[in-house]
Amino acid sequence: MAEDLTLSSQLSSFKVTGANSRTGYLRNGIGDILPIAPLVIFLLVFFLWPISAVFVNAFKDNDGTFTWSNYLLLFQDPYRRAFYNSVRLGIISALTGAIPGALIALIIEKIGGNRLKKIVASVSGVLANTGGVPLAFMFLAAFGPEGLATLSLKALGIDIYGHGFTLFSFWGLVIIYSYFQIPIMVIIFSPAIEAIRKEWHDASQSLGASNYQYWRFIGIPILIPSFIASFLLLFASAFSAFATARAMTVGNISLVPLIIGTLLDGNLTVNQFNLGYALAMGMIIIALIAMIPYLIIQRKTSRWLH
Amino acid sequence: MAPLRTKKSTSLIARVFLVCVGILVCLPLIGAAEFSLREGGRTKHSFHAYRWIFEQEDFSKTLLTTLQISLVAVFVTFFLMVPTVAWLHIQGKRYLRFVEVLTVLPLIIPVVALATGAALALPAWIQSSKYILSMMYVVLAMPFTFRALDIGMRGRQLDILVAAARSLGAKWWSIIFMIITPIILKSIFASIFLTVALSLGEFTFAQLLHWSTFPTWVAVAAQGNILGATALSVSALLSAWLLLFSFTFFDRKKQNEAK
Repeated sequence: MAEDLTLSSQLSSFKVTGANSRTGYLRNGIGDILPIAPLVIFLLVFFLWPISAVFVNAFKDNDGTFTWSNYLLLFQDPYRRAFYNSVRLGIISALTGAIPGALIALIIEKIGGNRLKKIVASVSGVLANTGGVPLAFMFLAAFGPEGLATLSLKALGIDIYGHGFTLFSFWGLVIIYSYFQIPIMVIIFSPAIEAIRKEWHDASQSLGASNYQYWRFIGIPILIPSFIASFLLLFASAFSAFATARAMTVGNISLVPLIIGTLLDGNLTVNQFNLGYALAMGMIIIALIAMIPYLIIQRKTSRWLH
Repeated sequence: MAPLRTKKSTSLIARVFLVCVGILVCLPLIGAAEFSLREGGRTKHSFHAYRWIFEQEDFSKTLLTTLQISLVAVFVTFFLMVPTVAWLHIQGKRYLRFVEVLTVLPLIIPVVALATGAALALPAWIQSSKYILSMMYVVLAMPFTFRALDIGMRGRQLDILVAAARSLGAKWWSIIFMIITPIILKSIFASIFLTVALSLGEFTFAQLLHWSTFPTWVAVAAQGNILGATALSVSALLSAWLLLFSFTFFDRKKQNEAK
């Protein structure tokens, strides 16, 4: 990799100096990084600036003086409760997405012909991008008290409303989220399964390992890092989902994104913008805790498996 | 890769499992489609709710707004990302890692937090244009568009081709349009598609920055007419799926032809 890099950069600089000496002369000056300047400036304006503004303003009270009180409020109810709910939703939704998703990916790899693989890949790609408001209404219509899904389950003897279930609840959200979480899992976990070589199975068998031993000592240990990385990504996706939750819950579950949305709508008499910024920072910190290990594992596993 | 060896019985269980998954995928959609065709009662069906959609003034208005926003997002993505990633592959390989890390950041930060920051920090003259949403969608799509273009350019020896073009006197824009674009056309399509899909369905930014786009209108319309909102959701989902489906199949066909 390193050799490849130096060789090609030497080649390209050599060629470019030959073709156009203007860029060649500037190779070690500012002109060298000029071409990535538009992208960097774009991200500075539309990404880093907004995030740093949130960070700074979370430390201000309504008069603009420095305070810790916005952050301290996060550790008190109802905000502590909202963080607890959001993290719990993230973890449970990641589990209900990761386990079935991994099973589907494994089964497709085991029994799937090429056509089945293609169909599953397309359907997953489509469903993974289906989120938001339409998804919420689709579930409401199908699983509402009068919905076709509810009625046909009732005809089969399963009365989902018999036990006080409602879609407008924590578990309702978990079910709805699984509609995009499972497909995301299938997409991101399939490459890890595909990378398992048939030869490893054959080699273990020729050394006398049973099927169980193969999975216990080879298959699962290889897949575990990818599984954890996928789990973390699913956690982040459910933890910060806003649109579906907003359309589904009419204020009966308190989740951090929904509270931020309400605080920033500005309908409140007391100005609580700064509290909203502190809540946003809280979300960023939790997301960072989940996503940084994800990125590290991703980088490592992609090196092992390819 | 070759399928791993399995016993007949596990294979049967696997098939049953897949069929169950298929039913679970279809059930909500069929349920919602049936619900949207109802008229008053449980038994009478008509396209009443679908006719209602077209009677709404805001339907075409918000749809047009969303299309304009996504068009601008596509243009910005193209002109920002293609030259940058191409340069990184041709001359700037040293900075490839740095830019890769930079473009992955939007994936880490929750959208709600970024929207909060955008509403707080960006000056009024930027926020007074609906195209601020385009800019934010470019940022949101960047982890995916960068990766798509990066993978598309790997191993294509762009440096040699570009050096050849320059020695023949080609200008930078003809290099981008006539050399780089055709080579990585598939990756460009993929990133355009991602950007469009994201722009068409995005709700959080539009809601928090107080713009009336198609998704936010659906949420508002639902409060007045739940049948109509279901009809809207079903048609929005179906058209999005149709688009995505045709794309993935087109994409695979191309791939097979290339082999």
